Amino acid sequence: MSSEPQPLKSWIKLLEAGKKITTHRQSDENIVYPLRRTFRPAAPDIAKGSLKRDFEQGLVYYVGDEVENDRAACGLSRLPPTGRSYADAVAKKRVILEDAGVFKKAGYDKKKGTFDY
Amino acid sequence: MAAAKSNDNSKADGAENGIAGSGVKSVSSAKPTKYGYFLGCVMPVKMPWAEKATMIVSKHLGLDFDYMKETLCCVRPGVWKAMNPDWWLSVTAQNLANAEKQGITIVDTCNGCWISHYESLKELTEEPEKLKMVNEHLGKAGMHLKGDVKVKHYLELLHDDVGMEKIVASVVRPLTGIKVMRHVGCHARKHDETLPNDFDEILRATGVEIIDTPYDKTCCGLLLYFADSNQAILERIGKKMKTAQALGVDAYVIICSGCYDQFERGVKIYREEKGISFETPIIHLSELLALALGYEPEDFGMTKCRPIAADKFIEKVRAIAAKNAKAAGEKKKGGESL
Repeated sequence: MSSEPQPLKSWIKLLEAGKKITTHRQSDENIVYPLRRTFRPAAPDIAKGSLKRDFEQGLVYYVGDEVENDRAACGLSRLPPTGRSYADAVAKKRVILEDAGVFKKAGYDKKKGTFDY
Repeated sequence: MAAAKSNDNSKADGAENGIAGSGVKSVSSAKPTKYGYFLGCVMPVKMPWAEKATMIVSKHLGLDFDYMKETLCCVRPGVWKAMNPDWWLSVTAQNLANAEKQGITIVDTCNGCWISHYESLKELTEEPEKLKMVNEHLGKAGMHLKGDVKVKHYLELLHDDVGMEKIVASVVRPLTGIKVMRHVGCHARKHDETLPNDFDEILRATGVEIIDTPYDKTCCGLLLYFADSNQAILERIGKKMKTAQALGVDAYVIICSGCYDQFERGVKIYREEKGISFETPIIHLSELLALALGYEPEDFGMTKCRPIAADKFIEKVRAIAAKNAKAAGEKKKGGESL
């Protein structure tokens, strides 16, 4: 019996979120033996959720109603002066990501919002 | 370590602004520097009380300090450099180019944001072919980076640009009697011990007592969490918070938003998955400073939206302030009667 501790539930949830937005087109053999064929440098599943948010809105965390309320309660503007308030900055980032080949090489389908291998 | 070009440029216009790790210390600037606060991802979402306190403290100390606009993720070097260093440089350069256009010095409170800006700027200004590569991508978005921009950690800004003398003189409510553990974070000590020393000096200026423990230099485990959740949470945050609890310190003081993200995650995981609730509040350095400068907790939302309530801490700060005021009153009364 293995004495390896089970990962924490929160971590498993994060990993599942990454897997959910990933499509593998490889055969089972390719997944088990990935070095037998050329493959793209994939971002790890555990980081894909945050990368997707970064690609979509330029930041790792969303600003929703709850965050806006917390900010107001602390005497701040509801929206921070980040990409959340400047759609143009996010649009420029996506142009840079595209031109630098990030979307293509990371296997990110920007229309579907998924990682496709 | 060679000083970044931005540092050299600052000398040229009369301002010898230092970059931690370069060994160069700041002196008074002939022309006031306009500072742009780079919020990053975590600060505006999870730490609004720290954001507000940072704005209050910076303006109180006389800095020309405002938000940097149009900020995006820094981007996280631990993730992006690991995937592809050129991607990291290209995306980080967007923030640098924005700051350059806005004519500001970037100020980071997050160690991750600081190291990303500081190291990418250094690389881009020292290696022209990389700057050229980055500008090809920026050009497609109608942007350009010359490299004529400065990057500062908030600790460096306080310690060197404001100066310890001014900070000490501005303290009207010394937090004497408050015991704290502190976590400065790995990236702040990557180049040398300047920033950790600055952190301690500023902390002591508020009057608090720093309690040293064997876990002070232990990483928060933010990036390790991607690989091993047990090591990252149980062996890092767990040990730190259990030590704080056992020692009975009044607060755990942090500076880095990235580290705070992991502290918050750890505290929630312990509560939800282990049934353990920690009681030591995690406080940002700016909050301590704001209190020491005479601001009330309500001025920056200290009682709002945090995983561990700071009520007991606030109660103690108020009790100390009342005791000090009473002692000062009696001293004055005694002096008058003399």
